[in-house]
Amino acid sequence: MKMKLAPLFGIEAVAFLLIIGETYLFFNFVVPLGPIPHSLTVYTGLALLKLALIIALVAVWFVVMIGLTRFYVGEKLRNAPKPSS
Amino acid sequence: MPSGLVEFGLLLLSFAVPLLAVLIGLPPFLGFLANKGWTSDDAHKNPPTKVPEPAGPILFLAALVGEIVVAIGFRSWVPVAVILGAAVAFAVGLTDDLFVLGGKTKPLLLLLAGVAFVSLVVIVPGLYQPLITFPILGDTAPHFIIYTVLAVVAFPVVSDAFNMMDAFNGEISWFTFLASLALLVGVSVHAAYRSGFSLARVGATLPLVAVAAGFLLFNRYPSKAFDGDSGSLMFGAMFAGLAITGGVEIAAIIAIVPAILNSFYTLSSVRGFVERRKMLSRPTYIGSNGLLYPSTEPGAPNTLVRLVLLAGALSEKDLVKNLIYLTMAACLFSVAISVLTWVI
Repeated sequence: MKMKLAPLFGIEAVAFLLIIGETYLFFNFVVPLGPIPHSLTVYTGLALLKLALIIALVAVWFVVMIGLTRFYVGEKLRNAPKPSS
Repeated sequence: MPSGLVEFGLLLLSFAVPLLAVLIGLPPFLGFLANKGWTSDDAHKNPPTKVPEPAGPILFLAALVGEIVVAIGFRSWVPVAVILGAAVAFAVGLTDDLFVLGGKTKPLLLLLAGVAFVSLVVIVPGLYQPLITFPILGDTAPHFIIYTVLAVVAFPVVSDAFNMMDAFNGEISWFTFLASLALLVGVSVHAAYRSGFSLARVGATLPLVAVAAGFLLFNRYPSKAFDGDSGSLMFGAMFAGLAITGGVEIAAIIAIVPAILNSFYTLSSVRGFVERRKMLSRPTYIGSNGLLYPSTEPGAPNTLVRLVLLAGALSEKDLVKNLIYLTMAACLFSVAISVLTWVI
């Protein structure tokens, strides 16, 4: 049974590697992004850019995980076990 | 500040006291619940059996006693902050156990646990370091505001993730026990390799490990006790608080990846926060042979359990074993991350 779990171990590994990578990008590049804003326009633009980048990071995680899961579920449902009765 | 043998004795006490509190306090409390008729159907048995619920109040009291031992023994505010967040989550969970809260109300109320936790920063500025330490790459720059906002949000996210891992006999207790062990290793390695890191933060982790270990004896298959939302939400809030005060955020997230994936699958397939009692279709069902099968309905919510069962129908006991394997894998990776972060 443990071997049957191998695809799920793989999905788990992808999930946490993405979490580490994206958290690193978030704290090291997105949060400190840009110069100290001198005007409201620059401040607003920078804030919106950061927001867009955060949404993009989250979206990447979602898309990858949904893609992997749909692939796994699709493959398994073709041979889904049926109740014995 | 205690040192040497005294520190070791305090650490031992902060594990032993909550463990004994669960082992001694839970049996009479379960009898009380059964006498009052406060039981739930063990839905995955055929026919369903009645199990006393919620055991959360005793689990919370045991954790509270343990954190008090750490707070007094180490003269630290860290356990106070941890148990404060856990107390709010416990109160939200108990309200849900008694009156059933809406799917959206619960996470919103759980934000208060995060607010209670971070509000102690006013009294204790060093409660947490507002930075993340990555394996090999090291520390990020401190970002107080963004870190604090994320810390507040972490409470409902982690608490709900724990709550969603509470569906089968022994699932929540095994999951909490293994994840808290990985957390304990992370915080201990952090304490051992970074100077100035208080041992109280290690001590504060021990009551969670002890309570989960004690509860495991009652909750494992076949369950003699269910924790209820009061127990599972409290476990999650304690875990979140300890990860933040212990400075082991990355390792902690890795340890609970199975729960995060489970929440993500559920939320993305039912498209939002829906109270589990109100889900239109079930992700799994019991066959006439007593085995659990994945639902093949197109609209069935995806849960981690459904994905595991897609690999083959299982008895409840074997299903929980498989969930434990997935959690063990995540916890081993979490320990490796802790070593890579603090030792290398």
